[in-house]
Amino acid sequence: MPLVAYPDAALTIWQGKDALQFIDGLSTNKMVDMMKGQLVQTVFTSSQAKIIDFVTVFHMGEVLAVQCHQSKLQNLLNHVLPRILGQDVTITDVTERNQFAVEYKVKNEHVGTFISVNNVTYGRTESNLNIVIASKENTLQHSGTIAEFDAWRIENLVPWNNHEITIKNHPLAAGLSKFVHPAKGCYIGQEILARMVSRGRQGKNLVRCKNSEVDDKLITTRGEIYSLGIVRAIQ
Amino acid sequence: MDCGTCETSSPVQLMTPEVVNVNLSISNKAQEMLSDAFGDDRSMALLVGVLSGGCSGYMYDLQIVEETDQSCQEITVDGFKVLVPNASSHLLDGIEIDYVDRLMGGGFKINNPNAESSCGCGESFS
Repeated sequence: MPLVAYPDAALTIWQGKDALQFIDGLSTNKMVDMMKGQLVQTVFTSSQAKIIDFVTVFHMGEVLAVQCHQSKLQNLLNHVLPRILGQDVTITDVTERNQFAVEYKVKNEHVGTFISVNNVTYGRTESNLNIVIASKENTLQHSGTIAEFDAWRIENLVPWNNHEITIKNHPLAAGLSKFVHPAKGCYIGQEILARMVSRGRQGKNLVRCKNSEVDDKLITTRGEIYSLGIVRAIQ
Repeated sequence: MDCGTCETSSPVQLMTPEVVNVNLSISNKAQEMLSDAFGDDRSMALLVGVLSGGCSGYMYDLQIVEETDQSCQEITVDGFKVLVPNASSHLLDGIEIDYVDRLMGGGFKINNPNAESSCGCGESFS
């Protein structure tokens, strides 16, 4: 299966007995039921419900490994650190010790879990997509290009960091609806997202569209014929 | 994934806020309700804390406790022993603990001059 580099990925380790509850209280997906060996993806949102970062949380047992993004890490830390009050939460940045890749066109049966083989961790985030995290001592054999990956993303309507997943968009517009839990407790931005869902007014949607049929500035990932775009209505 | 060596990595520096000597008040109605809750046993304390979460980022946490393992400042307000965690003292200075007596959405309420905004339920603020 094709494996491409994921150069903007970052990895933080969250420790302490309150870590899972802490993430749950500040992000869109339900985290508190996670068990060791599972992964859950969730979105940290601002008070305007805009994306701060879309993260993948690996439950490692004693610690949580949170794969986030280098370009958003400082904003994420600025968002969460002042909120660690009396809670037992410690965050460590271990990005420099790891390398990251994406494996796509895979066939996963156990989506939402991860396995580690020879210090390489495969996070089965989707039925056809793995996030791969390896120690720097390992060698990852890349076998695809970013352009090929983008073409696959367009075909499969997969949003990606710094394309669709940006601070300008809210999770529903960026194609991350399934990571916004409909019935969990409050979190920052929840009232806005709940209102959009209940009133059926989420504004923009992520769509796959023909280049000739959509305004250039709405395109978020450009392909040769088809592109991904975030538009007000399917065009 | 290399996280087994994380003990050799330095944790991200927390933004530790300054500890503030908290002043707070309790409205007459809240005093009545606390008197009912405490009864004659004034050895218990009212813990007034803040947790992360809620629609606006912080949530109030009110508990009646015998003791707590959090580092707290102990103050006496209108005869009630009140514990305020030092970690959240900067968010709680100047608050009024009130009680709203109504069928829906009633209960203890915090009026907080430090809050820039509050969510509809009144339990969360930023």
